[in-house]
Amino acid sequence: MPHLELRDVRAGYGALEVLRGVSLAVDRGEVVALVGPSGSGKSTVLRVLMGLTPLSAGQVSIDGRPVDFRSRGELRALRDRMAIVFQQYNLFQNMTVMGNVTLAPLRIKRWPRAEVEAEARALLAKVGLAGREDAYPDELSGGQQQRVAIARALALRPEILLLDEVTSALDPELVNEVLDTIRTLAAEGMTMLIVSHEMGFVREIADRVVMMDAGEVIEAGPPAEILDNPRTERARRFFGKVLRH
Amino acid sequence: MNYSFHFDVVWRDFDALMQGAWMTFQLGVLAFWGGALIGLLGAALKTYGPRPLRLVADCYVVFFTNTPALIQIYFLYFGLPEAGIRWSSEACVLIGLTLNAGAYLTMILRAGFLSVRRTELEAAETLGLSVLQQIRHVIVPHIARAIYPALANFFIVILVMGTSIGAVIGVDELTGQAINLATVNYRWLEYFTVVAGIYVVLTFVASIGLALLGRWAFRVRARIF
Ligand SMILES: Nc1ncnc2c1ncn2[C@@H]1O[C@H](COP(=O)(O)OP(=O)(O)O)[C@@H](O)[C@H]1O
Ligand SMILES: [Mg+2]
Repeated sequence: MPHLELRDVRAGYGALEVLRGVSLAVDRGEVVALVGPSGSGKSTVLRVLMGLTPLSAGQVSIDGRPVDFRSRGELRALRDRMAIVFQQYNLFQNMTVMGNVTLAPLRIKRWPRAEVEAEARALLAKVGLAGREDAYPDELSGGQQQRVAIARALALRPEILLLDEVTSALDPELVNEVLDTIRTLAAEGMTMLIVSHEMGFVREIADRVVMMDAGEVIEAGPPAEILDNPRTERARRFFGKVLRH
Repeated sequence: MNYSFHFDVVWRDFDALMQGAWMTFQLGVLAFWGGALIGLLGAALKTYGPRPLRLVADCYVVFFTNTPALIQIYFLYFGLPEAGIRWSSEACVLIGLTLNAGAYLTMILRAGFLSVRRTELEAAETLGLSVLQQIRHVIVPHIARAIYPALANFFIVILVMGTSIGAVIGVDELTGQAINLATVNYRWLEYFTVVAGIYVVLTFVASIGLALLGRWAFRVRARIF
């Protein structure tokens, strides 16, 4: 049974239908890369999963249990188990790094402060930010902010992590810092759905690749298969473009 | 120029002037915070309220920002007694200034409301924060930080320009007190020189206080000058 599954999910913004029947599944401990041209609906898939964009049809299941996004309780339970790292970090600008990472564990989980702070320090060390606990987001580089966002997501001990183009806003020399962090998480068995344009990274880290175009999944399979021998013309064109540079 | 300054009379009345300064300070602080409460309500209504209430807030803002504070206070002082309501001159100034400040602060706070980043709210939401928790931990600190400079400026405006209107209806704030004293011995120039100095000190102290508060509470990098 997949850890996370979408079946025929449709969603959009107002009259604009962005997802036109998306189905995909991620097994426990599996790393799935979601790739596709810009505007194809990758971010919307992640937004639907987090309950930020409502789905108009279809179903999302976790451990085989369908999620009712309209139920506050189920939504809370879902956000308990699943965390997202946004492309633009979305850190709280008025809080320190420590404040960002500990806010939810302290205020929502009401875990003891000493424990939460110790864990936050450990997480920050893990993402290479030991010693920057008291900095504010605007004092950090993009790569550092991105890693704070990862630490913040991990502080709630999620089972599933969604990552949205976590390296696309970064300078090339910062990309590796973030990718290292993700490699570590993958090695530790975290279930992950990763939107990425870094095909080298996708090839290395993903167990499976799902390719989207215009709100539909057009191919899915192991990286070697999808990246090297795409079956559809649309996929061939996309990878032709991405791989060339 | 052959005017000879005689500051000795002013120093003799220094206590009275300080009482005036204290009155000025009280009026300024009370009108500002009263106005801030009104402004918070007004901005919330303008941003999130239903249409009729938005309209009420709009009318309030338009009326009070497009007429002089002096006229508003005259209305309370000379107009209300006709309707059988008689307030002391201090009350008229305080209430008039508060209503006036409320209108300006509605606009300032509204700009703050609009500057809250949707992305931060979405992050808060996905972390599981309730709406109330989002207001407390994300929205309010953000607004405070965004509008702090405008807020601090406006406090000085109220403190110096707003309160001195009280003089015209006989409130013994700093300007009024100086007028009272000068009419006795005609040392206008001396009194107003000293009074100007006291205003400068008052705003200076208020600015430092506000800058420190801003740095400490909201991490605003406020400049004092
Ligand atoms: N908040 C929004 N409101 C309206 N349209 C949106 C919004 N977010 C995304 N879209 C539209 O939805 C489509 C898919 O967007 P997105 O899911 O972000 O694609 P991707 O992440 O693959 O680039 C695009 O056409 C985009 O313009
Ligand atoms: Mg996107």
